[in-house]
Amino acid sequence: MPRVRKGAARNKARRRILRNARGYFGTKSRHKQQAKVAILRAGNFAFRDRRNRKRDFRRLWITRITAACRMRGTRYSVFMHGLQQAGILLNRKMLSQMAIEDPASFDELVQVASEHASKAAA
Amino acid sequence: MPRQTTFAKTGELDKTWHHLDARGKVLGRIATEVATILMGKHRPEYTPHVDTGDCVIITNAEQVVLTGRKAQQKTMQRFSGYPGGQKVESYESLMERHPERVVEKAITRMLPKGRLGRQMAKKLHVYVGDQHPHQAQQPVALEIN
Repeated sequence: MPRVRKGAARNKARRRILRNARGYFGTKSRHKQQAKVAILRAGNFAFRDRRNRKRDFRRLWITRITAACRMRGTRYSVFMHGLQQAGILLNRKMLSQMAIEDPASFDELVQVASEHASKAAA
Repeated sequence: MPRQTTFAKTGELDKTWHHLDARGKVLGRIATEVATILMGKHRPEYTPHVDTGDCVIITNAEQVVLTGRKAQQKTMQRFSGYPGGQKVESYESLMERHPERVVEKAITRMLPKGRLGRQMAKKLHVYVGDQHPHQAQQPVALEIN
């Protein structure tokens, strides 16, 4: 077997790593070994956070709905319970968007929810 | 309606100014409410990476109430950085020297720690006595019971 020299392949591998690490802070975008670790970690975080994103957004919507409810003198838990009792199946994403863009409709939702919530309690 | 969740942009929302008279109010009770307003969590446009909060003016800071024996027992610690440089002061004496510092600390310590949190803290204005220099901002009275 002929002797294989590594030079060209090694350069190519290094270039590939540094290309993927473009824009990273300090040596992480300049040194092969640091860049290699940084890319690996970035990939892992990206994988994890694509899953976590669903929870992050749900939390944000709940925070926003809470704010909208408190402005109107009710609470998040009472509001959601009331909607469920009333058979309104709007999800939290839609509710939070309505609170921002269509406050008038949200007012009505709060109205309906509080009626049904109090009925269940009585 | 857009398919994507709306995010507020810096400077896009109008900031309103709230004015709170701290006379006879319990320190922690007003601090949580004010911190919520400074963070912007009281409005549906709340965005975690943007400062969506309003400004708050607090007057009569010296008349804030500490319940129980907290004035005597609760202490405020500072550290100067030198060996033996830890200063401990009871709330009683701090209330006498700098009543506004008591209120400021209670609120800013409830804010997020970081660059954005420090930015939020700048919107808080605490004054001794019932005068404040922000009449031009037309503050709205804030009621906390």
